[in-house]
Amino acid sequence: MIQEPFRHSLDLLHSAQQPNGGFPYHLGENSRPDATAWAIMALSAYAFDHESCNRGRAYLASQQANDGRVSISPSHPEASWPTPLAIFAWESISQYQEAQSRAIDYLIGFTGQHFSNPDPSIIGHDTSIPGWPWIAETHSWVVPTALALLALHKVGLGTHPRAKAGRHLLLNRQLPNGGWNYGSTTVFNRELPPLPECTAIALQALAGHTAIHEIAQSLQYLSHELPRLRTPISLGWTLLGLGAWDLKPTNTEELVLACLQRQERYGSYTLLSLALLLCGANAQQGLYSLLPGPLPQSPTSFARHQ
Amino acid sequence: MTTALTQKDQVTLTRRQFLQACLFGGGLAVSGFSLLHWFMGPRLTAQTFIGQAKTYEADLAKLIRQGFQELGITPSEIKGKRILLKPNLVEPHQSLSHINTHPLVVRGAVETFLSMGAGSVVVAEGPGHRHDTLLVLEESGLADVLYEDRIPFQDLNTMEGVIMPNLGGQTSLTSLTFPRIVQEVDWVVSLAKMKTHHWAGATLSMKNFFGVMPGNYYGWPKNVLHHAGIPQSIVDINATLKPHFAIVDGIIGMEGDGPIMGTPAHSGVLVMGRNLPAVDATCCRIMGINPDKIEYLRNADQWLGPIHESLIEQRGEAWKQVYRPFALVPEIPAHQGIRLT
Repeated sequence: MIQEPFRHSLDLLHSAQQPNGGFPYHLGENSRPDATAWAIMALSAYAFDHESCNRGRAYLASQQANDGRVSISPSHPEASWPTPLAIFAWESISQYQEAQSRAIDYLIGFTGQHFSNPDPSIIGHDTSIPGWPWIAETHSWVVPTALALLALHKVGLGTHPRAKAGRHLLLNRQLPNGGWNYGSTTVFNRELPPLPECTAIALQALAGHTAIHEIAQSLQYLSHELPRLRTPISLGWTLLGLGAWDLKPTNTEELVLACLQRQERYGSYTLLSLALLLCGANAQQGLYSLLPGPLPQSPTSFARHQ
Repeated sequence: MTTALTQKDQVTLTRRQFLQACLFGGGLAVSGFSLLHWFMGPRLTAQTFIGQAKTYEADLAKLIRQGFQELGITPSEIKGKRILLKPNLVEPHQSLSHINTHPLVVRGAVETFLSMGAGSVVVAEGPGHRHDTLLVLEESGLADVLYEDRIPFQDLNTMEGVIMPNLGGQTSLTSLTFPRIVQEVDWVVSLAKMKTHHWAGATLSMKNFFGVMPGNYYGWPKNVLHHAGIPQSIVDINATLKPHFAIVDGIIGMEGDGPIMGTPAHSGVLVMGRNLPAVDATCCRIMGINPDKIEYLRNADQWLGPIHESLIEQRGEAWKQVYRPFALVPEIPAHQGIRLT
């Protein structure tokens, strides 16, 4: 039985689907791959409308370039950061196995600009570790690297050199006192402040592949932040990130309902925000628990074997 | 589109400037600046207003309106116009009001435009480091003000883009993708913060427009622009966007390791004007920074606007009366050699 506020949000999401099968970021705009992938994950999580999800997957396939990437729009092929999201949406759907496989190949062959750090007192992180950028031919940052890692882990490529390097990058970018910023650690010897949304995504990506003691401070930071998070993107990712480490809060439903309630103040959330929040509410153990297929090894038990 | 520039029939060139002009004239011409124009043509001038406000509790709408009057902005010019206000909300954190444009400055600007008959006012921002823009709004305190005043807000990071030819030509970027809203408004206004900046020297009304560029296409941070060159990108964005007005919040700015990690600097001023290079050059002088040493201002000089003191007609307070040198960090290369002497 789906609670009324959740059902209302699902109805809104569902009704926003465009004739081409895609979902827009904002109501009334054109379809977008990132919003479509999150909508598919949310609708699937609640078993809402199987056919709607299939049409969404077909839209994502229509947006895939020959080299496997799925970009934010055809006019900006360099902005290929939605590719991992499409991989999640196609997961375990036999019809899209080939599309998913090409997307994985693209991710493995795609990286950011990396270079030896000429002066660590200016930029503190190791700039030579290959990860994934938001936009082609720029430096790698935390969120796109975490999303790509999640995709590689999900399809069983956790031991691939790119996945190992990606985890190395995330751990290198972890702030000395816990948490992650968008991707810098120190600049001119000053430690930058952590951000909940970036921390949550990084923690989700490392779950199952990293010993808990390596990220304990970050888990502590995010747990501490949770009570004040009332916006759908940060709350949605935080529920996923904590859930991936078996720390899903017991009052999740209360937090999500309060967040939905705040639409009375701000107006309707964007469709992507709504979908992400619904995913966070539904996932018992992080993002993978929403997707078909086996869950990765329990992170806490994994940590005990290290 | 209105223009902010007036002209003076005066030009003098030193021998060194003449040699530089001969050497770099080709490049300047390519970038839209005519060597012949520089040599023979009139100099650009502009007006800038400095208003004093000791605290954010002052009547800021009244002060901004006074600035409008001094700068010759009349209700008939504003009537019916669709106004986009772009505050600076790069990475606000709770209780740190010196990082972002103060919500009461935003409120003052909204009130002023509406009271002068603006058809609509929208506040919009694409935070440079964070993709949860709603959380940024909440942490900055702006959400409360917008909610109380029923002012709409748009997230520029996620908005659909419109591709425009790069009219600046300072970077290798042949086009720039702006959020479509810039084509749906009549005035684009920079509501910037007065801050030092560890890559650009100072961040003021021109640099504030990094936040217009959608993260969807430029990343978080706006890394495409960093790779293209920060000073060059600032000029390209401003040359292409052609903003109409700037109000810089220097009531409490940031000195030291800005734009995020610095400390509060109380200058007690709002600086405003139609011409952004002139506004920024005036802010620099108040901050004890030589605008000639700020690369993007130097590149914009006598093309997008004037930066030399003699070419900026000062209204309101004189900058020397509100001079309050901002601390610079000697170890930061962008801070070296920029002190106004």
